[in-house]
Amino acid sequence: MGLTNTDIQSAQGAEQTDGNIITTTIDKVINWGRKNSLWPMPFGTACCAIEMMATLASKFDLSRFGSEAIRFSPRQSDLLIVSGRISIKMMPVLKRIYDQMPDPKWVISMGACASCGGVFDTYTLIQGVDQFIPVDVYIPGCPPRPEDLIDAVLQVQQKIASGASPKGVEHLLET
Amino acid sequence: MNEEKEVEEQSIPLVLEKLEEHHADALLSQDEMRGTIVAVVRKEQVYAVLEYLKTDPELAYTFLVDVTAVDNSQMESELMQFDYARFMVVYQLYSYQGQCRVRVKVPVHENDLSVPSVTGLWRGANWLERETYDMFGINFEGHPDLRRILTPDDFQGHPLQKDYPLRGRGERESFNFDKQNA
Repeated sequence: MGLTNTDIQSAQGAEQTDGNIITTTIDKVINWGRKNSLWPMPFGTACCAIEMMATLASKFDLSRFGSEAIRFSPRQSDLLIVSGRISIKMMPVLKRIYDQMPDPKWVISMGACASCGGVFDTYTLIQGVDQFIPVDVYIPGCPPRPEDLIDAVLQVQQKIASGASPKGVEHLLET
Repeated sequence: MNEEKEVEEQSIPLVLEKLEEHHADALLSQDEMRGTIVAVVRKEQVYAVLEYLKTDPELAYTFLVDVTAVDNSQMESELMQFDYARFMVVYQLYSYQGQCRVRVKVPVHENDLSVPSVTGLWRGANWLERETYDMFGINFEGHPDLRRILTPDDFQGHPLQKDYPLRGRGERESFNFDKQNA
């Protein structure tokens, strides 16, 4: 499997005893796997999407962080990257794609437009997708640089490793 | 390059003359601006004028570049010129043959927001007229499928009319997911 002792130890809470026996919890191992193989669903509607493409291409190479397996089917994705402005006509599409993604799922709101409408304070533009879908990580910028998107992916990874629930299921846990 | 320039310069007076000769009764005004003829035409004759510009072998304005409109309701100087017609529907034409442009404008009064559709002359006018309908509320008579094209189907009003509020009327906060997903 290529899974070394050091890898397992890097998952929080893992302990190594003498020899080759490792004790940990099943949650820790699962989260370790999830965090290192996020499959993003790109929802690119504007210039932020160009930066997202640059992030995936050779120069910035998101695959260094295990998140290069872009899937254009929400059924196969667990990270939604909303990059660009979302109009009132597009919001139901985005909501539907979010709903189609299997749990657990995380959402990155990339750039000013997705996060708050940006400069487009007009009749047609959603003033922040978090009014309609839960967002885990926001990226400021117009558009953000690829490094910012990588940073956001790393923050999602940290969140997964820490065992925190995605924003989308927190309301389920409360009740 | 120089030859192209000559063609352009010759065509400008040509189209002015020909419009005066064949459609003088349709013309409200005509002018030249930065190498483009601007002809303001009566609504009743706009189809005939556009058809003439397209089919006349010397002119051959075969390419409909754009159809759009202007809301002059806050431009007193513009309103006065054409009997207080609130809207101006604008057709941009290009002639590959003469390598020059014509802009045909049609004043439209608010109480009769309709213009004949030119989809019969250019099939490409279909979506351009739908956009103009969606944004300004101009009805294109004879259009095969005059539905909204940019805003959602259940959108109320026409957002590029000057009295439409910039931040809308609450559309962006309240819409029905279930209805639109159905």
